Amino acid sequence: MRALVSIFGLSVLLIVVSEGSVWAQPYAVDFTRDVQPILAMHCYQCHGPGDAASGLRLSSREGATEPANSGLPAIEPGDAAGSELMRRITAESIFERMPPEDPGLTDEQIEVLRRWIDQGAPWQDHWAFEPLEAPAVPEVEDADWVRSPIDAFVLARLQQNGLTPAPPADRLTLLRRAYFDLTGLPPTPKAVADFLADDSPDAFERVVDRLLESPHYGERWGRHWLDLVRFAETNSFERDSLKPHAWRYRDYVIRSLNEDKPYDQFLREQLAGDEGDNPTADSIVATGFYRLGIWDDEPADRLLARYDHLDDLIATVSQAFLGLTINCARCHDHKIDPITQQDYFQLLAFFHNVTPMAKEGPQIEVPIVLEDGSSAHALAISESGPRPPETFLHVRGNPRVPGSAVEPGFPEVLTSEPPVIPTPAEDARTTGRRTVLADWIASPDNPLTARVMANRIWQHHFGRGIVASPNNFGSNGLPPTHPELLDWLATQFIAHEWRLKAMHRLIMLSNTYQMSSQGDSLALQQDPANDLFWRFDLRRLGAEEVRDAVLAVNGRLNPQMYGPGFFEEISAEVLAGQSRPGSGWGKSPPDQQARRSVYIHVKRTLLTPLLEAFDLADPDSSCDARFETTQPAQALAMLNGKFMNDQAAHFAERLRREAGDDRLAQVRLAWQLALGREPDEASQRDALALFDTLQQHGVQPDKALDYYCLLVFNLNEFLYLD
Amino acid sequence: MRGSFCGRTRREFLWQVGGGFGAVALTGLFSHDGFPRASADDGIGGFVNPLAPKPPHFEGPAKSVIFLFMYGGPSHVDTFDYKPELYDLDGKTVQVQTKGRAGARNQGRIVGPKWDFRQYGQSGQWVSDLFPNVAQCVDDIAFLKSMTADSPLHGSAMLMMNAGRITSGSPCLGSWVTYALGTENENLPGFVVMLDPTGGPISGAKNWSSGYMPASYQGTILRSQGVPIIDLNLPPGMTREVQRELLNSLRDANQRHLASRADQTDLAARIATYELAYQMQQHAPEAVDLARETSETHALYGLDQPRTADFGRRCLLARRLVERGVRFIQIYSGGAHNDDNWDAHDDLVKNHNYHAGNTDKPIAGLLKDLKRRGLLDQTLVVWGGEFGRQPTAEYAEGTGRDHNSFGFTMWMAGGGIRGGQSVGATDELGSAAVEQPMHVRRLHATILHQLGLDPNRLTYFYGGLDQKLVGVEHVTPIRQIIA
Repeated sequence: MRALVSIFGLSVLLIVVSEGSVWAQPYAVDFTRDVQPILAMHCYQCHGPGDAASGLRLSSREGATEPANSGLPAIEPGDAAGSELMRRITAESIFERMPPEDPGLTDEQIEVLRRWIDQGAPWQDHWAFEPLEAPAVPEVEDADWVRSPIDAFVLARLQQNGLTPAPPADRLTLLRRAYFDLTGLPPTPKAVADFLADDSPDAFERVVDRLLESPHYGERWGRHWLDLVRFAETNSFERDSLKPHAWRYRDYVIRSLNEDKPYDQFLREQLAGDEGDNPTADSIVATGFYRLGIWDDEPADRLLARYDHLDDLIATVSQAFLGLTINCARCHDHKIDPITQQDYFQLLAFFHNVTPMAKEGPQIEVPIVLEDGSSAHALAISESGPRPPETFLHVRGNPRVPGSAVEPGFPEVLTSEPPVIPTPAEDARTTGRRTVLADWIASPDNPLTARVMANRIWQHHFGRGIVASPNNFGSNGLPPTHPELLDWLATQFIAHEWRLKAMHRLIMLSNTYQMSSQGDSLALQQDPANDLFWRFDLRRLGAEEVRDAVLAVNGRLNPQMYGPGFFEEISAEVLAGQSRPGSGWGKSPPDQQARRSVYIHVKRTLLTPLLEAFDLADPDSSCDARFETTQPAQALAMLNGKFMNDQAAHFAERLRREAGDDRLAQVRLAWQLALGREPDEASQRDALALFDTLQQHGVQPDKALDYYCLLVFNLNEFLYLD
Repeated sequence: MRGSFCGRTRREFLWQVGGGFGAVALTGLFSHDGFPRASADDGIGGFVNPLAPKPPHFEGPAKSVIFLFMYGGPSHVDTFDYKPELYDLDGKTVQVQTKGRAGARNQGRIVGPKWDFRQYGQSGQWVSDLFPNVAQCVDDIAFLKSMTADSPLHGSAMLMMNAGRITSGSPCLGSWVTYALGTENENLPGFVVMLDPTGGPISGAKNWSSGYMPASYQGTILRSQGVPIIDLNLPPGMTREVQRELLNSLRDANQRHLASRADQTDLAARIATYELAYQMQQHAPEAVDLARETSETHALYGLDQPRTADFGRRCLLARRLVERGVRFIQIYSGGAHNDDNWDAHDDLVKNHNYHAGNTDKPIAGLLKDLKRRGLLDQTLVVWGGEFGRQPTAEYAEGTGRDHNSFGFTMWMAGGGIRGGQSVGATDELGSAAVEQPMHVRRLHATILHQLGLDPNRLTYFYGGLDQKLVGVEHVTPIRQIIA
């Protein structure tokens, strides 16, 4: 028998599993995966944790099965036909139908609810808040394909849906994929030749190991982290003034990743690296995390601005570290998730003693001693002594209407154990509260931390997380496509001492990672979004990758790491948009401007236009997944922009230098450098024909090569990875 | 508020999380919710332009918006908010609560209005001598005389007027509008910003940022002279013919690459964007070519006078863009700092004579031109700054006024607005809105409403919340001014 249809939330709707499969079992709707997202998206706004309109609360089984104000329960378990909920969601009359706004539930959603109720309306608590346990690795037929437990999880779902994994990617594709994934840079022609010539079984494994040791690894994966913590080096607003020494935080991130620092330690340092017995320069720099957000140095309302700033911390910590949108509970209980306003202010209490942001001075500039013994300053946290201010709940989020007093505490839905806050010494610099928070977050017992990070690691290898809303593991986030796989990865992550590099190996050495991106008509029909991972997703290079790859290919990339950022040349037209054109922007020498994009000085009101066109993260708040737009502004920048034309000319120079004047030799080298392969015959023919045509148009030979190089940078094969 | 977690926001959510969602998947998602998506009707297959036109929530009169942004904060009591009693109080110290750049004060020295007011039009609206030409159009204008904003400081107040919040990171009005409606002409940007020759406003690009939305919805700076759009001109030395040859060769190579990846819609879309970019290069210069306008039109906008030529050029350009289907156009009067804009802290007379003198004729020309061409009904024109100014002096000497976000005047015309009326009022000094105070959110709600959008239903899922331009509380448009 055939399995059919698989899109978000409906994966099991029409599935009839083949007999004999390990998955063969009576068809059942899964509450977490199929039902709760529908209720959360369409019902909770009025009938959820925050609101029980008409006496109906659909966020708990009791609420859903007890009589509402109408006297009828919404759900009669086991009897969909007799359930008021079914009558209302299928009602013809717009006065009766729920949800009231257009366009109502889809037929598929209604069918899910009908089956679920008929099956007795089994209820489960939200998956992400359940304790983490290692699931059993499924046994599958056709186990030949299973090289890693990851493959077993993926293959089981594919088989369940009657799909087969795509064939392995060819070696060049795999190599380019691995290079860009781990370093954000293309392989050199020599690296390609070596790999293609190496037919030993562990050839790819050795490539992965080598790339993990490359210093470029931290530059690539550090950038993912910088997106999450809204890294920027200025404050935004009217003056968009400089955050002193912010680049040290960027360096700390890159260095930590290159050292494969355990993730739990990485989190602890950022949250509370200044506390404890032995703060190091590194752990103090890490607390620059608290100082990275937007900050209005001349707020209209100082009190409100103070709490806006704390809200930025709560939003960033809860979304980036916990995958929770606790920030939604600032003014009232969370409408969807079981997060209360009390939870919000209990979390705020951990940060309440943090000194406000400033432009400069000891509040934010903390002395450190560097490895070489010299002294310097770091952008870092400070607190105003051991006695924190009292924290009150703000009625409707208004800081001028204090409610009841609250103590530091963790969200109730995640733990019932209250934090134990030590009493700090009289002369302590801080309250020690943040260490307590850090220990709770960076703990294997926290149900979210490892899951959230394991998901991010998967996300940056496959272009999308198992949970496709990486900052939101709550009920209005997207459910995991492979919940067991996610939990397995999370437990592996902890077992490997929270080290990312072990996870990269684990993932990249799986057959799942090594599949081709080739289409398959059956799979395309059944799972066009590739939720089941039947192939590897093609992806466009990210903003930094585009710029860095161009510099790598034309040979100008300056590998200098660390230190203050540089100023990319920005055209006068763009600078004219500033109220003081050029203000806060410097001029860096050409070799500095050839450094990797992660070292561009991040000024919030003046982002590099080329990078912006390719969907650079907006640095004002945590960015968990960049957009991947396709728009004419990209084509204009790539064709007409000064940077691209300059770099094309440098590329041409390199080709002349290394391949001489022979056109064919130049074209072949261009392809080897940019694409890692020889041009096929048609491409060679077209290239030579283009040179002829350009000559007829009177284009000088050198200029013609510049133009050809520009064309190569615009090839889809250059900008996309299979 | 209710029901906003319907398919629309979930679709945006899916899009936001990006990754492997190609154009085809998007088209599918778009088609079965409240916003069916028209495909780009440009003869180029495979490309779903995020700016392709989309239907509104309901039929609204306005198709385009021209926002004339008087950056720095024009004084309402010297322009459109007539306060007869204020003249006699000139120089006297009165008890009045003010809050501005200089902080909060409880008393101050009144600066009497420095210009006379007269009544104009059949409706008898009061306009000062700063705007004798705009005064001729008052029967088409609805004055909002009780505006309020959350901040009396430029940086945060600019963000509020442009993006609805006093903190940065949110999408601007123009981003919301192009996100919701796309634009009618895909050969031009949908959200265009024209800056003052003295420079950009405070916070620069944050004033036309798409914030947490994709960069597709961010404002594009359009210049009235020289190269209109960044990277639109060919690189030095390249001809259009040569570029065509390059593009042909590029297309052939990309098609070859696509052949074995036929299901990858992103690749096809990318090929299409090069053709669209090529067309933009052709169409944009035509759109900004004012030589195609008659000398009578030039004179109507004040292009024949040095004082008004620059702002007039940008107003005329705005009309040409509206004709070509551009959705949202913002023109700045004033740039940079201090007296380069309306921020009259020192010499009010000099400052306002200068800025009003530069803009009065062009604004009137724009309104008259739109009207005679039948475009005013579908073009919403908005005038105002990020706040107004205090009735009292900021310093011991001189006529300069400090900022005032407790009460100020803005106006709207066209786009289904009933002109010839004033709504709301400030107190007798003009220091605060007392009658029907109208927050900036209501101005935004009215703009969205005139475009056929329900401000309380226009949402974008971000950070765990259905974000709205007008915030979480229900906001109603200003009904009195809607025709």
